[in-house]
Amino acid sequence: MHELSLVESLLRMIEEYAAREKFRRVLRIRLSTGKFSGVVPTALRFAFDLQSQGTVAEGAQIQMEILPAALYCFGCGKEIEVEYFDAICPQCEGSMVILVRGTEELKLMELEVE
Amino acid sequence: MKITVVRNVLEANDRIAQENRQLLNEKGVYVLNLMSSPGAGKTSLLEKTVSALADRFRLAVIEGDIQDTLDADRIAALGVPVVQINTQGACHLDANMTKEALGALDLELIDIIFIENVGNLVCPAEFVVGENIKVMILSTPEGADKPSKYPLMFKESAALIINKVDLLPYVDFDLEMAKKRALALNPELRIFEVSCKTGSGIDDWIRWLTLQVELFQRDAR
Repeated sequence: MHELSLVESLLRMIEEYAAREKFRRVLRIRLSTGKFSGVVPTALRFAFDLQSQGTVAEGAQIQMEILPAALYCFGCGKEIEVEYFDAICPQCEGSMVILVRGTEELKLMELEVE
Repeated sequence: MKITVVRNVLEANDRIAQENRQLLNEKGVYVLNLMSSPGAGKTSLLEKTVSALADRFRLAVIEGDIQDTLDADRIAALGVPVVQINTQGACHLDANMTKEALGALDLELIDIIFIENVGNLVCPAEFVVGENIKVMILSTPEGADKPSKYPLMFKESAALIINKVDLLPYVDFDLEMAKKRALALNPELRIFEVSCKTGSGIDDWIRWLTLQVELFQRDAR
């Protein structure tokens, strides 16, 4: 549900760029976030469609890059991508693991504008 | 035309949080941001903690509640200043709401502020408010799978309170599994097993917290 706050921040950032770069319309917004960051893409899109009405970003296409999650297994000595984190290495089933990627926060990467 | 940005969407919040932190550092105020699911025991832990620390430190509480003032009333009964932030439906506190609440407190007269965040394991984890540490509560009836379902909160917290350990014989909670998963997300995490009902484990928590605050105050001087 914090997607509403995220979109509010995002739109404010876009307005700031619109004022500086003098564009009239945003065609595409490229975002990135970690798989385990807690951001729900469908909720974010829904919030965006509502909140962007009447702004330069209205109608823009949202492109979400979901960064994969990975654990490091001390048994295997390497990083392994995981879909779900239950603190067990999917390869050797050892439990000497730590989560090393997947909680990256939401970033605005690129705007395509005209 | 393409514009490369690469900025955190929440950087405006982070900036206000930093301003809050700077102000709090100047005043020597330690802030603890307390987070958990609804019903895990935030208010109960605060009641125990406030009672245990009230002789040693000057305390205040910021209560984040969606609607009512029930929690604020419980804390006010302990005789410490309470500021209620009514989030009007929002699922978390942010740095700006916290800034407003700080403005309602006399920071010169406070050593520690406890922020009771909105009951939610997802959203509050993403919003820094200017705290020194985040502390989260997981209660045994919630289940040992919570670290896997809500990794960010466990990663962001400095301490994890496992509450309602008095219920362990009656609930299906794998304590070792919960601790193992939490530590795999955050190897630095301090874990306390407590029961706010019986008081077990509270002393360890109070000792650890006292030390954190003493260290902060020593560095602030």
